[in-house]
Amino acid sequence: MEFQAIVDRLRALEAPGIVSADEPRPANKAEKDPGRSGRPFLVIEPDKLVDFLRVCRDDERLAFEILIDLTASDPGADEPQLWILVELLSVRHRHRLALKALLPKENPTLPSATAVYRAAQWHERECMEMFGVTFEGHPDPRNILLPDDWVGHPLRKDYEFPTEYHGVSCE
Amino acid sequence: MSILAITLSAGSLLSGAAATELQGPVMGTPGAGGNFLTRLLEWLGPPQAVPTWAIALTSVLLGVAILVTMVSLIAMWSVWMERKVSGHMQCRFGPMYAGGWHGWAQTIADGVKLLLKEDLIPKGADRALFWIAPAIVLAGIFGALAALPLSYDWYFARMDLGVFTILALGSTTTIGVVMAGWASNSKWSLYGAMREAAQVIAYEIPLGISLLCPLMTLGTFSLIDASREQATLFGWDCGLGWAVFTNPFNIAAFVIFWIAALAETKRAPFDLPEAESELVAGFMTEYSGIRWSFFFMEEYAAMFLMSVVGAVFFFGGFETPLTALMRASGSDGTLLYSLVCFGTLVLKGFAGVFLMMWLRWTLPRVRIDQVMTMGYKYLTPLALLCVLLTATWEFARHLVMG
Amino acid sequence: MTDVQQHTPSIHLSGEEPRVLPNGEREFFFDVSTSDLEVNMGPQHPATHGVMRVLLRTDGELVTGAQPHLGYLHRCAEKIGENVEWLQYLPYTDRYDYLAAMNNNLGYSLAVESLMPDLEIPRRATLLRTICAELNRIASHLIAYGTYGLDIGAFTPFFYAFREREWIQALFEKICGARLTYSFIRIGGVFNDAPPGWLKEVAAFCDVFEEKWREYYDLLVTNHIFVMRTKDIGVISAEMAYDFGLTGPMLRGSGVDFDLRRDLPYMAYKEIWDAGAFRIPVGRGAQGTLGDCWDRFDVRVQEMMESIKIIRYCLEVIEEGEVIGDVPKVIKVPAGESYVGIENPRGELGHYVHSDGGKVAVRCRVRAPSFVNLAVLEDLMPGTLLADSVAIIGSTDIVVGETDR
Repeated sequence: MEFQAIVDRLRALEAPGIVSADEPRPANKAEKDPGRSGRPFLVIEPDKLVDFLRVCRDDERLAFEILIDLTASDPGADEPQLWILVELLSVRHRHRLALKALLPKENPTLPSATAVYRAAQWHERECMEMFGVTFEGHPDPRNILLPDDWVGHPLRKDYEFPTEYHGVSCE
Repeated sequence: MSILAITLSAGSLLSGAAATELQGPVMGTPGAGGNFLTRLLEWLGPPQAVPTWAIALTSVLLGVAILVTMVSLIAMWSVWMERKVSGHMQCRFGPMYAGGWHGWAQTIADGVKLLLKEDLIPKGADRALFWIAPAIVLAGIFGALAALPLSYDWYFARMDLGVFTILALGSTTTIGVVMAGWASNSKWSLYGAMREAAQVIAYEIPLGISLLCPLMTLGTFSLIDASREQATLFGWDCGLGWAVFTNPFNIAAFVIFWIAALAETKRAPFDLPEAESELVAGFMTEYSGIRWSFFFMEEYAAMFLMSVVGAVFFFGGFETPLTALMRASGSDGTLLYSLVCFGTLVLKGFAGVFLMMWLRWTLPRVRIDQVMTMGYKYLTPLALLCVLLTATWEFARHLVMG
Repeated sequence: MTDVQQHTPSIHLSGEEPRVLPNGEREFFFDVSTSDLEVNMGPQHPATHGVMRVLLRTDGELVTGAQPHLGYLHRCAEKIGENVEWLQYLPYTDRYDYLAAMNNNLGYSLAVESLMPDLEIPRRATLLRTICAELNRIASHLIAYGTYGLDIGAFTPFFYAFREREWIQALFEKICGARLTYSFIRIGGVFNDAPPGWLKEVAAFCDVFEEKWREYYDLLVTNHIFVMRTKDIGVISAEMAYDFGLTGPMLRGSGVDFDLRRDLPYMAYKEIWDAGAFRIPVGRGAQGTLGDCWDRFDVRVQEMMESIKIIRYCLEVIEEGEVIGDVPKVIKVPAGESYVGIENPRGELGHYVHSDGGKVAVRCRVRAPSFVNLAVLEDLMPGTLLADSVAIIGSTDIVVGETDR
């Protein structure tokens, strides 16, 4: 199924938390809009993400068996929100769906998707350490790539590089 | 320290053996009966002029010197051979530079390097055990090699139960390995040691039982007599009366013996105690330098020893058509004859070593439960069956041929 | 051994009264208690294929728990992606999965190109990309084949595999000058055209490799000891594979017939599939349970042959022409965001790229297949023997450069 068909199906199923579709658009010089290229994303509410994923996984015609990727993005130091990006794949129907959830940068919290897809476990751990996102109900919320005592969330745009680590200068 | 321990243990064995042998010459029956050490001593002077203890001491020291040289030479040659064999099996050459011709001096260079290397002992290790373990490992193999005749009239001790001595002393190396694994204070070493213990216990049984088959065929425990027995094939002295030719069940027994010998010597596919992809280096993980090389020397000496035992009891020992020809031309008893016998044994031994290497570089490693299953559930009953069938065959043969 | 917890005595008669059997014998109950040994497999361990650490809890030879610890090779690839120009990031992609650098270049290039709708990729570039990517897939699977043999204890196949891989590396050296980190597939096409005669050499390689492949198959894949060691070990069912998000040979080993090259085709793969040039090997459970280590390994070995077929097709249809599209020296990518996943030797390599129209990415996320595939270890390893756990790690075919990025 194409993106539009998937969105229509999801709306028909009354999947919780759909906000809008973020689709590519051409640049518009008159309105100083640089446009947007790339692939369409479906924007959803972060609180409803887990319920939404469950609908995606369990519906026969969507059948997203695999959570390919779950990550976050910090679009800029001035932006108020973090993006949570989820990529789903259906083996049976050979289609993909990209999701985007917007989270406030102050205390970003959303429920963990581990209950729906166990693949989310390590992706969420990476998100936690890199962006400081809290996933409620995560079974094993430790750092995964960084040392356990690392300070700060390196992939945030406002991250300040440390000048020393355990007494070793890294300037 | 370790060298001292080796010398002591090998020496004590030898002195016992030599002393029994010495009684002959000292008591005044010179010549052919004695071992070659005493004959060497005789050549130096009349035995009556030298005190017995001096002869005993000299012969022990001489024997140890010969054994040390022998083990070192076997290990050096085998390591080089292993590297060349594996190299050529793997589309490469192996060592090519040290010494000039095909890297013949590579092992010497490695040996010097190992001697000069720092002798590391891990912090939490049991120092005494850690020191003594390689010595015990090597001492066992020294003792076993001492019981090995090198030719019909070249031997340290003429033992009626030679094969038992070799098997018993050869398996004492396990104690050293377990000691090394325990003393290293490393979990990987401990795993290796435990695997070694389990494996050796499991495979001692089929090894011993499968050897009973040729022992029954040949009717002797002595390696020299076993060789001599295999000279005649149906009464014809052609040097081809090998146990595998005179009794078909000995072939099956040899296969069992060979599998068990591979497990005994920790060679692939039974190299579980080392298992470099699982246990890093098993019981040798924490060892370095010359101590580590002791384990290596033991491994190669044990390979050679097992091959020689197999060669003696299944494949005719010193006997080939060449020796038969020499006997027929009346040149037995000469130095050349002894040399030919010695050469035959060494060649057969290294043929076995080559087979072990071939298997090592071909087969993947089996798992510990599969090793145990194979040892207890298949090889032991099969070996017993072999004994039964061999016995029946021998009984029938004696009935028919008288 | 200070780390071993001592229970004294480890075997003793329990306090229960002996049970009297009908024939009058008394049955005693032994309270057998052993203690678990925690052992670090890694970071320096030959079985972890790099610097990864698996914390094992073992009861004798039995593994009762496993916990992978990553991050020893973390090189901040994603952070670097936000700080260097688009093209400058390309060499960093070489270094996540250093065994399949061409495929990584390809994944990144395709992701960036998906943000540039005006960019045309010349056909010759597409086919050269396909040839290189498939050659690198073979090279990567050869390593998987060889190192898995090492894990199981067979040394020699490793050297044979390296012999062919050496040839592939020599081919790559001729086309781009590098042997491991190529940076050959660029945004817009490939770096330069193949040198004269290169395509013929690739064809010669294909001929020889087909012969050798048969030997590989006989030497290791159907070897009895090897089959005994790998069948029924580390069984991943299709449901479990879905749940853990496994992709690539890990997924196909579980019997799921899914390959991005066919099912969500990119580049010229649709044409190649429609021409019937290749098929998708899927685990069949031929030696044991479906989805065991042997199936995954078998899928990889079979895939090498399919890659050869793809290369042969490309060699047939390739024509002279441009090899790189109209790309400026300093690339400015139009604003937008995109996720593109391609079939890497280890699974789906995904790149999420986000551009604000400038010279530098806002976010450059790498979805590394090894990272995801590794998560399944925690579930697979408990209950196996120590040697099996090594076989399981090997069958996931991880590259630590990719898990840690």
